[in-house]
Amino acid sequence: MFKKKVTLKVLLLLVASDMLETAIHFFFKKGALAQTEFSAIDLPNAVIFLKGVFSSPFLWAGLLTVAVVFIIWATILSKIDLSVAVPIASFSYILVPVVSVIFLHEHISALRWAGILFIIAGVILVSLSSKERIAESK
Amino acid sequence: MREGLLVILFMIALTSLCDTVNQLFLKSAIDSLNFSPKFNFIKIFKFIFQLVIKPRLWLSFLFSVISLCIWLLVLSKADLNFAFSADSMHYIFIALASRFILKEKFSVLRWLGTGLIVTGIVFVSLS
Repeated sequence: MFKKKVTLKVLLLLVASDMLETAIHFFFKKGALAQTEFSAIDLPNAVIFLKGVFSSPFLWAGLLTVAVVFIIWATILSKIDLSVAVPIASFSYILVPVVSVIFLHEHISALRWAGILFIIAGVILVSLSSKERIAESK
Repeated sequence: MREGLLVILFMIALTSLCDTVNQLFLKSAIDSLNFSPKFNFIKIFKFIFQLVIKPRLWLSFLFSVISLCIWLLVLSKADLNFAFSADSMHYIFIALASRFILKEKFSVLRWLGTGLIVTGIVFVSLS
């Protein structure tokens, strides 16, 4: 079965899933931040923490978005290989840091941006390798 | 955060691993369905229904719940941009799983791309 081709429709689905993915992590971070700080990560603390987070509306907004992304993602995976879909979907590696800086006021060092650029370069190479294979199979 | 860095990285690795297992089950469930590439609403609903009754989908769901719980703990301790970038270590797991479990074909270029992504993660973790 021919499932390698990244069509425009699949690409649009991937862009939509990237943006929604970023929203999910923003919501989850907001939900986690709403909880009081705990010192050690052990099971009792984790249970209390998770109970708190699961009563936060941010978490449920995040989970609702997860459901939407799941449907989009299932559609994408039925059309292209996992090893092609996942790297292209990694555009959120730029979106999440940008959202972190603007809305969560996090600081990102030059070295970290360099790391992010490496990740993007890797994504482009992986995308090219899928294109190369489509050309071969024609 | 410095002394907890290794603990956080370990937890992120655990999340990534659960996520990879989740993706593998999902891919396997979807591949077991015969699905034509032409889409309409009835077909999508039929597709989702057929998917929901697959036990493999529920295994996939279980792993994503575990992954979510660990991820929320990570987010309470670490910056989102760090956690999210470090979470890209699932590329290593997914590349290996795609190659050796799903037997998907890999070109040199794709290995090179995956290598660059890994290099990026190392930079992000060092900063």
